[in-house]
Amino acid sequence: MTVVAVMWLHWSPVVAQSTMYKAPRTPDGKPNLDGIWQALNTANWNIQGHAAAAGPMPQLGALGAVPPGLGVVEGDDLPYLPEAAAKKKQNSANRLTLDPEVKCYLPGVPRATYMPYPFQIVQSEDTVLFAYQYAGAVRTVNMKKAPPAPIDGWMGWSNGHWEGDTLVIDVTGLNDKTWFDRAGNFHSDALHVVERYTPRSPETLSYEALIEDPKVFSRPWKMSMILYRHEEPNAQLLEFKCVEFVEELMYGPLRKKPGG
Amino acid sequence: MDVVIKAAILAAISIPVLCQDGATISSKSAAIPRMSDGHPDLQGIWTSASVVPLERPANLKGKEFFTEKEAAENEKRVLGMSSWERLGSQAPEHYNMSQYGLDLSQAKVASTLRTSLIVGPDGRIPALTDEAKKRNAERTARNRGHQFDGPENRPLQERCLLYYSEGPPMLPSAYNSNLQIVQDPGHVAILQEMIHSARIIPTDGSPHLVNSIRQWMGDSRGHWEGDTFVVDTTNFSDKTAFFGSTARLHLVERFTRVDSETIVYEFTAEDPETWTHPWTAQIRLVRIEGPIFEFACHEGNQGVANTLSGARAMEKAAQEAAKKTSK
Repeated sequence: MTVVAVMWLHWSPVVAQSTMYKAPRTPDGKPNLDGIWQALNTANWNIQGHAAAAGPMPQLGALGAVPPGLGVVEGDDLPYLPEAAAKKKQNSANRLTLDPEVKCYLPGVPRATYMPYPFQIVQSEDTVLFAYQYAGAVRTVNMKKAPPAPIDGWMGWSNGHWEGDTLVIDVTGLNDKTWFDRAGNFHSDALHVVERYTPRSPETLSYEALIEDPKVFSRPWKMSMILYRHEEPNAQLLEFKCVEFVEELMYGPLRKKPGG
Repeated sequence: MDVVIKAAILAAISIPVLCQDGATISSKSAAIPRMSDGHPDLQGIWTSASVVPLERPANLKGKEFFTEKEAAENEKRVLGMSSWERLGSQAPEHYNMSQYGLDLSQAKVASTLRTSLIVGPDGRIPALTDEAKKRNAERTARNRGHQFDGPENRPLQERCLLYYSEGPPMLPSAYNSNLQIVQDPGHVAILQEMIHSARIIPTDGSPHLVNSIRQWMGDSRGHWEGDTFVVDTTNFSDKTAFFGSTARLHLVERFTRVDSETIVYEFTAEDPETWTHPWTAQIRLVRIEGPIFEFACHEGNQGVANTLSGARAMEKAAQEAAKKTSK
């Protein structure tokens, strides 16, 4: 009982405010989630609570350090199966080469939501478009029909519906190549994510993702956080086509050597 | 109430579109879907697949339009070719698109009387300015003998940076000429399947980005002229090089939904440092079922690594052969 009460207190800010706030509506009467949003947390470094630490590249000094964070995982515990726990450790030790973000690969869901880059929602009745600045990642959410995922992909297959003021997105068809963060937290191709976006004030959304992956975790678990609206009058998504920035890393050793 | 009245007024006006398709086409307003703000609803999944090339073939010089019979014959001829013949490639093992359902003959294709996508008597990209000729010659000379040196010597498509068909301006591609439009009261978003770029075009009258910010896909701002959605794009990077253009490339695109199945898409490209005059092309987008698939180009890219390692292997083999000969 004590545990439950503590958790409730810990997670209540996100939940409690959402019940009091009524968001502006779209022409079809749904809460209007249009805007440019961004997480202001350090979940992309580590979804679990973590103290500040040196980064994997000492030559970057403070630029490459890991900023501290309270974590976004409910209860802070990730229920890895034993083998998966070992793999997570390996991932973490080799993150400089294994983290898909290093190579500018598509981030997957839910990581796209809390990378340190903004994303934009363009909301229509039949389709909600999520465009992420990082790597130009994009996903469309089918609101009218919920066809099954035709094939696995990096950003998965999204079918959405409204539960009251909450946009609920069921994400399947995710491949096993993306991670949750730079700390090596990972999943398999059995990943199933249920995301919940709820307006909680004109400037904020509450975001929850229920994670289910029986190949990697012994039970479903949840992450939650607040997403903040970019209110600069000229806010817009700028290009971050990072492929160009990883070519030296990926292809540098294959370059023609001078005089070669 | 205002919105309803505005929609009613707009619906009552049939706005003629300068379509240059042999006749003036008017968007029969009643027939096209509209948003709650009265503007045409451009949403849906579309293909720009075309049986007509960008530039008019030499044998059709001076002939901007086919007769209906000729257009049907041309369509039959083009769709009857294999994917690799259409690409002018001798490598069917690389470009046999039909096995993936990606061949042009398996796509929905808009019928058109045009003989080229570029409009006007020439139907070709205008002559280059002297400056552009010099620039191109220098670029070619610089890269000659270095095409396989490093990733930046490879074409943008191979590097998964930007597809020539991706736009803006958008062009039909050899396959996957698919795009999705999502619209809300303040934006029109265009998602190109190749290579998963979303262009979110604001319609709030805001100005372009400051001059110092240059992007591969430029910076697009939209507004409505009657029932036509007009997009102005500037702020290109000089690396974009659309048919050799510079950072001064200025584009105006026009989207007109003419019926439930068709958007007439037209663009005018202008770059005084590249072409002697602006040029315009017109493409018909037809509605398809979709879905749009994820085109994870970079994530699946073996091309750059294989090309470069192949080149290094050939250099090594040549060196060894030279050593042997000298012994």
